[in-house]
Amino acid sequence: MTLETILQVAAGGLLMGLIYALVAAGLSLIFGLMDVVNFAHGELMMLAMYAVFVIWDASGLDPMLQLPLVAALLFGTGMVIYRGMIARALSVQFNRGMVQIFVTFGLAIFIRGAAQFVWGGEFRAVNNTLLSGRSWNLGGVYLPLPQLAASVVCLAAFAGLLLISRTEFGKALEATREDRDAVALIGIDRDRIFAMGWGLGAGAVGIAGVMLAGFYYVGPNVGASFALIAYVTVALGGFGSMLGALVAGLLIGEVEAFTAVILEPSLKQIGVFAVYLAVLMFRPRGLFGKL
Amino acid sequence: MLRLENLSASYRGLKALQGVSLDVAKGEIVAVVGANGAGKSTLLKSIAGHVAIEGDITFDGTSLRRMPAHLITRLGVGLVPEGRRLFPRLSVEDNLRLGAYAKRGTADRFRPLDLVFSLFPRLQERLPQRAETLSGGEQQMLAIGRALMTQPRLLMLDEPSQGIMPRLVDDILAAVQKIRDLGVTVLLVEQRLAEALEIADRAYVLQTGRVVMSGPANVIAADASVRRAYLGI
Repeated sequence: MTLETILQVAAGGLLMGLIYALVAAGLSLIFGLMDVVNFAHGELMMLAMYAVFVIWDASGLDPMLQLPLVAALLFGTGMVIYRGMIARALSVQFNRGMVQIFVTFGLAIFIRGAAQFVWGGEFRAVNNTLLSGRSWNLGGVYLPLPQLAASVVCLAAFAGLLLISRTEFGKALEATREDRDAVALIGIDRDRIFAMGWGLGAGAVGIAGVMLAGFYYVGPNVGASFALIAYVTVALGGFGSMLGALVAGLLIGEVEAFTAVILEPSLKQIGVFAVYLAVLMFRPRGLFGKL
Repeated sequence: MLRLENLSASYRGLKALQGVSLDVAKGEIVAVVGANGAGKSTLLKSIAGHVAIEGDITFDGTSLRRMPAHLITRLGVGLVPEGRRLFPRLSVEDNLRLGAYAKRGTADRFRPLDLVFSLFPRLQERLPQRAETLSGGEQQMLAIGRALMTQPRLLMLDEPSQGIMPRLVDDILAAVQKIRDLGVTVLLVEQRLAEALEIADRAYVLQTGRVVMSGPANVIAADASVRRAYLGI
């Protein structure tokens, strides 16, 4: 491999890694806050991608310009899912751990089926965006603009999450995460905090979905493969850790990119899951895990 | 100010309170004493909305019966719980400031900080430290401080002397008296009979979930049968 190839592959891994990181951040935020693994996380991303496709198809509005709208839509969806399903699932007296797994897993299957029903099984694509087909040549390294924009937006979203964690609301979120039963003592409605957490988690994966729709096919199963990588990312970074999600997302992006080149593209996930197995064997709490 | 009428409650499947009636008037320190397992903690948890109850609880005429716990706090009922329940990884400062979280949008919501620092100067020295790094006594001070930040009209304390060096127990009980002198009504649950009765105006003795005796604190303190009830003989 020439140096140029290595740089090219590394750049591709970096761009994809930032998207993985944001998807994982949403998952990790919800898990860290309330110990619920959202098995419908990938499907939320898929919904965001379809929203982009539908709006683009109907109005021609560029995905980049849809970003605030679709992010807000996903934020609301997250809150509704918490209020309508998760809060109920958490209020059961018996076997709560299983109930929350099945609730989100069932939701995933439902959303996937509904997407198949409404939009059919075929792949869709958003074409002719402001950025599509354009790229930037950085000293011989070729950076496609849709991917570059996606990674920049994901990084900005990460910065946004970090800023939120510094606010008073962020502290209330942290307090709820530390002791969900004690926040009532300071007048905090934990259901409101949980709902906001779901909104933020869904909003984060929604932003990733919007940017992904600029260069990736849209289909009912698109979320599943990303969610699988997100679980690996969260496990590697450490459950509940935002910094972990960022570092692990970048690592996974690179591992995937180099596996694709060294072995072959269709085997790129072998590297990712090899990393996962290694994490489970040698450091089950992940790089930055608090568990 | 606070009135419990025929209150019953179960905790972890056991009947912890049976037909408890109790009054607290504005400006009083009322002590609830009794042996371990007498239902003292459950009593405070019931008032704070953490336990399902039968009977009724009214605070300044408002029924707390079906009110969610966070709204009871906002109404002006503060609880310093058993085990303190601080946010261990947050700083002392964040723990205190979050006490005023529900009052966002109101001016001067951090004003009680001055009071907290005048009661517990040590906390001011420890502001950037994580709450979990404090000693037991300091954690108790922080828990009281956090509750004061919610600007309660009634402050309930669940065994503030537990797990604290004897020297600090007096400091904390002295602070409780000062808090009352500033106009906050106090409901104090204690296992340490003598200390609690010393600062209280009135007291209730709880035994296996029932009030077995009540009256002025000095009368209760002088009554030999209290000690028997207390020891569960």
